[in-house]
Amino acid sequence: MNNTKYILVGIDGSAISDSLVQYAIWLAKSNGLTIKLLHIIEHSHKSEQAHHEGNLTPNIRRELLKELSDEERIESKQLIAKGKELINSAKEKVIAAGIDNVVAKLRHGTLPEAIEDLKDEIAFVMLGSKGKSHSIIDKGLGFHLEESIRATDTPVFIAQKEFTTPTKVMFAYNGSPTSKRAISMITQGNIYKESLEIHVVCVNSDIKLAESLADEAKQVLSQSNNSIITQALTGDTIEQLTTYQKQNAIDITAMGAFSHGKLHGFFFGSFTTKMIQQSDTNFLLIR
Amino acid sequence: MLYSPKSDWFGNIKGDVLAGIVVALALIPEAIAFSVIAGVDPKVGLYASFAIAVMIAFVGGRAGMISAATAATALLMVTLVKDNGLQYLLAATVLAGVLQIIAGYLNLHKFMSFVSKSVMTGFLNALAILIFMAQLPELTNVTWQVYALVAFGLAIIYLFPYVPFVGKILPSPLVNIITITLIAFYFGNESMGIRTISDMGELPDTLPIFLWPDVPFNFETLKIIMPYSISIAIVGLLESLMTANVVDELTDTESDKKRECKGQGIANIGSGLIGGMAGCAMIGQSIINIKSGGRGRLSTVVAGVFLLILVVFLSDLLKIVPMAALVAVMIMVSIGTFSWASVKELKTNPKSSSIVMIATVIVVVWTHNLAYGVFTGILIGSLFLAQRLSQFMFVRSEYDEDSDTRTYHVVGQVFFNSSEKFISYFDFKEAVDKIIINVKRSHFYDITSVAALDKVVIKLRREGADVKIIGLNKASETMMDKFAIHEDPDAIEKFMSGH
Repeated sequence: MNNTKYILVGIDGSAISDSLVQYAIWLAKSNGLTIKLLHIIEHSHKSEQAHHEGNLTPNIRRELLKELSDEERIESKQLIAKGKELINSAKEKVIAAGIDNVVAKLRHGTLPEAIEDLKDEIAFVMLGSKGKSHSIIDKGLGFHLEESIRATDTPVFIAQKEFTTPTKVMFAYNGSPTSKRAISMITQGNIYKESLEIHVVCVNSDIKLAESLADEAKQVLSQSNNSIITQALTGDTIEQLTTYQKQNAIDITAMGAFSHGKLHGFFFGSFTTKMIQQSDTNFLLIR
Repeated sequence: MLYSPKSDWFGNIKGDVLAGIVVALALIPEAIAFSVIAGVDPKVGLYASFAIAVMIAFVGGRAGMISAATAATALLMVTLVKDNGLQYLLAATVLAGVLQIIAGYLNLHKFMSFVSKSVMTGFLNALAILIFMAQLPELTNVTWQVYALVAFGLAIIYLFPYVPFVGKILPSPLVNIITITLIAFYFGNESMGIRTISDMGELPDTLPIFLWPDVPFNFETLKIIMPYSISIAIVGLLESLMTANVVDELTDTESDKKRECKGQGIANIGSGLIGGMAGCAMIGQSIINIKSGGRGRLSTVVAGVFLLILVVFLSDLLKIVPMAALVAVMIMVSIGTFSWASVKELKTNPKSSSIVMIATVIVVVWTHNLAYGVFTGILIGSLFLAQRLSQFMFVRSEYDEDSDTRTYHVVGQVFFNSSEKFISYFDFKEAVDKIIINVKRSHFYDITSVAALDKVVIKLRREGADVKIIGLNKASETMMDKFAIHEDPDAIEKFMSGH
């Protein structure tokens, strides 16, 4: 991985942000990448004062433009001040943990837009799964999460629980192109260099096929320094995977993500989204 | 086309619903007034406004922008309706929609970059003047009572918002309509010579139904409607894209212009198929929507649906509304659309900008076609630009006695307009050994400029000098390789004999 690229960490001040920063520290210590803490100034572009007079006065365009931009200016200033506080406190934590390669930045717009714009500079994206409005026990996903994940082709780490140093990774393997990509990334140690306990779990209606997939994955993965455990299962994929997560106290679930288009997700619901919603672990998504 | 982020739809529910209602109330008088302009029954404009507003909410590229039946497009239909009737208008509307969709696929929205600020100001001013002029038939040869009602209506529109509390909740154009209607009804419309909406033609009494325009499906029909459809498609897109820019600026958000072009097309097709006339985005209404707190797609749907509910269920009440009340609303729209600052700026802006703006206005008012005005504005603006670029082109020279060399340094843009000037800088009477033409800081754009350079080189060589050109940049060089002849003996022969 190119060293000039960095880990983009989305800081939104939600309950999960603190834990996310710690995961970022954990990861950066292993792979040596720079951490970029990013807070998005998201404008509502809504006006608090609506006028229902319904009439058009002379020079209305000018007056309205002035009024709206003045109002948004105040909103922006407040958001920027708040954002600065957030990223600076996160930055201090990173520095205190002994990492010097850290930048803190604010950007206007939305998170998916920012990821799209910074595409060429990002090596890795780390986000919290819940937006600001959710508490940590809520099952909801962040408003922009799916769009943000779709906006990048780098791996995405989704923090979902309080920080504990991760040791056990469940790798959901189904032989698809994205999951093959995931395998090679993990094998090469691009993401995390130290050794972990990796549980390769293959779920298929045909148990034979699941077993052969598991073997296939194990062969490739055993070239890395990780210890590999395999498990073939049959039944409902999400149910089997989430049960396995609980039984084995998995810290991170790694899988290929959003291989279908947006339209497919619109009609059938996305597997990735459902999986994240129904799990308690953190996620490592490979695009 | 149909996919929009959820926040575009439900990011601002309360604001959108309230704003949509305000907009619907203001859309009704406008739709009726524009039907009158086009010479069709009010229901044609009302159905159009419903169809366009609702459909554009789904397929448009600019959330929060209001589209409906408009003055700009209505003005283009007058003769078609007069000569061929309503069915041809509906067919022309559908065809205009098809053309707009094609324009969308061809990325024609990119041509908007040619529309300068001056042209846009001219467009808005001309539109305001046209809307005002369209009210004149209601204001000439009428009784004094009509003038009194219009004046009173305008007073309500501008002053009612200052009334404490209610002034901020009730849309003043609506208060105007209700008050004027009550006054006129109390004193008796007919006895005072006051015309009402019912004098203008049919109002909708049912929900719209799908109808294929009743025209012969042949080449003859196409020949009749095509010119109208082209005008409508162009003017509709111009006003829509300009309005999108206005809304972009006001809300500090971005719109998808390509999608807007296609969306306008789809909305017009839909309008034509339920008996509505062609329309486009409306600057005045979009501003009212933003001012009222509308931002999302929901506001447009609410406006359209609420409008339809109102007119279908209140058509008996609408009939007795005096035209004077509508005229007051339209004068308000005209005043709000006109850029009053542009009058003041005539003194301070560069003369060329003012001329472009005024020319745009004059051509529109003269032809009643906003597209002609915009093209005129673009053309004049381009001529001024060409003139300006030529002014910045010059050639200076120096003479080196030891080598008997004259070096010419060309600076600036050499193209059709500056070629004559370019040639005039060279002294062909001076007899020197060597001549160097340094074109490093210049650019040769077209074959006229290349021919001019050729002419200079050939003429100087003819006078016995050795001519060398240095510093051709890449772009100019390709122009030269393709079209210059001064290096090709045969071509030189031909060139010289031809002149």
